[in-house]
Amino acid sequence: MNTTGSLWKRSVNGRTALLYLLPSIILFSVFVFYPMFRTIYLSFFLTDQAGNAAINVGFENYQYLLGSSEFQNSMKATILFVLYTVPIGIILALFFALLANEKLKGIGFFRTMYSSTMGVSVAASSVIWLFMFNPSIGMFNRLLQTVGLPQIQWLLDPEWALLSVSMSTIWMNVGFSFLILLGGLQNIDEHLYESSRIDGAGYFYRLRRITLPMLSPTLFFIITISLINAFQTFGQIDILTKGGPSQSTNLIVYSIYREAFVNYQFGTASAQAVILFVIILIVTILQFKLGERKVHYQ
Amino acid sequence: MKKFGANPLLWLLILAMAILTACTNSDSNTNNESSTGDSGEKKEPAKTEDGKVSIEFWHAMSGTGQESIDAIVKGFNESQDQYEVKAEYQGSYEESLTKLRGVGGTKDAPAITQVFEVGTKYMIESGYIEPMQSFIDKDNYDLSQLEENILNYYRVDGDLYSMPFNSSTPVMIYNKDAFKEAGLDPEKAPETFSEVIEAAEKLTTDEMKGFSMLTYGWFFEQLVATQGGLYVNEDNGRSGDATEAVFNGPEGRNVFDFLDRMNKAGTFGNFGTNWDDIRAAFSTGKVAMYMDSSAGVAGAINNAPFEVGVAYIPHADEVKRNGVVIGGASLWMSKGIAEEEQEAAWEFMKYLTTPEVQAKWHLDTGYFAINPKAYDEEDVKAKWAEYPQYKVTVDQLQDTVPGYATQGALISVFPESRQQIVTALEELYQGKDPQEVLDKAVEGTNRAIEIANKTKK
Repeated sequence: MNTTGSLWKRSVNGRTALLYLLPSIILFSVFVFYPMFRTIYLSFFLTDQAGNAAINVGFENYQYLLGSSEFQNSMKATILFVLYTVPIGIILALFFALLANEKLKGIGFFRTMYSSTMGVSVAASSVIWLFMFNPSIGMFNRLLQTVGLPQIQWLLDPEWALLSVSMSTIWMNVGFSFLILLGGLQNIDEHLYESSRIDGAGYFYRLRRITLPMLSPTLFFIITISLINAFQTFGQIDILTKGGPSQSTNLIVYSIYREAFVNYQFGTASAQAVILFVIILIVTILQFKLGERKVHYQ
Repeated sequence: MKKFGANPLLWLLILAMAILTACTNSDSNTNNESSTGDSGEKKEPAKTEDGKVSIEFWHAMSGTGQESIDAIVKGFNESQDQYEVKAEYQGSYEESLTKLRGVGGTKDAPAITQVFEVGTKYMIESGYIEPMQSFIDKDNYDLSQLEENILNYYRVDGDLYSMPFNSSTPVMIYNKDAFKEAGLDPEKAPETFSEVIEAAEKLTTDEMKGFSMLTYGWFFEQLVATQGGLYVNEDNGRSGDATEAVFNGPEGRNVFDFLDRMNKAGTFGNFGTNWDDIRAAFSTGKVAMYMDSSAGVAGAINNAPFEVGVAYIPHADEVKRNGVVIGGASLWMSKGIAEEEQEAAWEFMKYLTTPEVQAKWHLDTGYFAINPKAYDEEDVKAKWAEYPQYKVTVDQLQDTVPGYATQGALISVFPESRQQIVTALEELYQGKDPQEVLDKAVEGTNRAIEIANKTKK
C-alpha cells in the first residue's frame, strides 16, 4: 500500500510527460511502429498472391537475399550511388552557400536561383532530365554532336547510367543542402570575423578556422540527412531507368518496390527493407560516434 | 533518468502493444466482414440522385485512349436511363492492379476493372471477380460475333473470365524511304530472321541502325510464339498449372541469337525500355526497322516525315510462321458488389462490344476491334483506304494459327518473368553469352513460379 502509493507519487512527473507525449506516441505507433513490426513479421514468410503471409520460412528470405547476386548487385549500386552523390552534393552546396553568403548587390537573386531546385518535385525534374538524356533527341547528345564528340548512351549504357542518375540527383538535392548551409552561415557571429580581420587573417584561414568549425553542426546535420536520403532514393530511378540497364541502377529501395508491387513477393521485399533499415541504423550510429566528436557546438 | 523510472516506459510499451493489437484486430474484422459479405445478405447498389444505378470503371488508358473511353462512356450513359458508368483513370496497369488489391472482393471494389493480359491468371485465382461466363450463359450472349483469336487468349478451360477490350499485337514497322536508299524493295519487308539481319546490314549507315526492338518481355514472347515455341510447360500453363519455364529452348535461343548477331555486327540499335524513346528514334531516322505494338502504328505514321511500312513480325528461317499472341487488356467484373451493379457492368460491356463502339475505339487508338463487324463500318473502311498499314495488323491477327503457342502463356508471375527477360536482353546487349543469360532468366522465373504454386491455397 505504502510502496504503491509512493510509486504512484514518484512517477507523477513521468505520467505527466507521457500525457504530453501521447499524441505523438499514437501517431508514431500507427504510422511507424506498426508498419515496422509488420514488415519484420512479413520478412519471415512467403506471401500468397494477395500479399498475405502464407508459409513461415524462418530466415530463408534473408539467406536467399544474402546469397543472391541480384541483391548483392543492388547493395553495390546503392553504396556507389551514395558515394557519388553525397560528397559532391554537399561540397557543391557549401561552395554555393559561401558564394551566396557574400554581401553583394542583387545577391538575393542568386540565393533564389541556387535554392530553386528545392521547389521542383523529384518527379517533375526527373522527367526534364529524361528528355535531356534522350539518346535521339536529348540535349546532351546534341551538345556532344555539335562539339564533335561521340554520343553517349546516358541511361542505356550500364557504365554510364548510375553516373547519369547521380548527376541529376545531385542537381535535385543541392537546393535543399544549399538553403540549410546558407542558414548556418548566416548564424555565424559577425564579431568573430571582425576580430580575425583585425588580427590580419586571410580568407582561407578564416574559412578553415572560423567558418567550418562554426558551421559544423549544420554540416553534420546535412550530411546525416543526405546520407539517409541517398540510401532511400526512389523517384528518379523509377522515372529515369526503372532499375536498368542490366540492373546497374537497381538501388535497394527500388528493388524493394519492384519485389513487392510488381512481383508481389512481400516476404523478400520486407526482408530487404529490414536489411536496409539495419544498414541505415548502423551508418547513422557510426556517424554519431565518429562524426560528432568533430562537431563544435557553441 | 531516475525520475522517469521503469514505470512510464512500461506504460509506453503497454500502450504501443494495445494500439498494435487494436490495429491487427480491426484488420481481421474487415476481412471477416468481406468474407461473410460474399456469402449472403443483399447489398444495396450505389445510386445517383435520379435513381440510376451508378458503377465505377477503373482503367489504365491515358492520352488518346482516355479521351476515347470518356466519349464511349458518355455515349453509354446517354443511350439508356437505368445505369450510369463513371470512368476513372487509375494509373498504369501495374498501379491500377495494386489499387485493386486493396479493395478487391469488397463492396468498395469498382464494378469493372481493366487488367492487362498477363494479369489474367492472377485475377482468376484472386477470388475478386465474377466470371464473365456466368453472364454470357444467363443472357445467352452470342460470343461468336467476337474475334476468335482474341477470345482464345482469355478463354481458360473453355470459360471466358473477362471481356476482352483493348487488344494489340506486335508488328514490325519500317522506313520505306530508307529501304529505297539502301536498294531494298520498300513494298516487301524481310520476313525471316536471316532476311532481317541482311536487310539491317544494308540499312545501317553512320546515322541509322538497321533494326531495333524495345527491351520489353512482350516482344520476346511474341518472337518465341511465332515459331510455335512455348513459354512455360503444361502447354503454356493451359492444361494445368505451369511448374517450369521452357523459353530457353531452341526457339528462345533463336531469338537471342538473332538479336545477338545484329548487336555484334553493329546493326542493332538499343534504345532502352521506354516506348517513347524507340518511337522517337524511328521518327528521327535513327533506326530503319523496329518492333512496335499495333496500337503504335497510327502514331508512327503521323510522326514520321517519311513513308512508313508495316509488316508481320519476323520468324526463324527453319519454321513456319505461327502468328502472334494477343496483348493488351480485358475488363473484369467484380464479385462482392450489389447484383444491380453487376447487371449495369454487364450492360456496359455489351455496349462496348457493339460494332459502332468498336469501330470508334479502333480508329481512335489503333487497338483491334474485338467485334470484327466493326471493320465493315464506313469510317473504318475509309481510314483503311487512306492508311493500308492498319489492315496489316488485322491480317496478321487473322492469319494466326491457333495453338498453345499463339494462345499465350498463362502464369500468375508474368510481370516478374518479364523483368527477368529485360535483364537478360540487357546483358545480351552487353555482350554476354545468349544461352547463359536465357538460362538465368528461366531460373528466376522458375523460382517465382515455385513460390506462387507453394503459397496458393
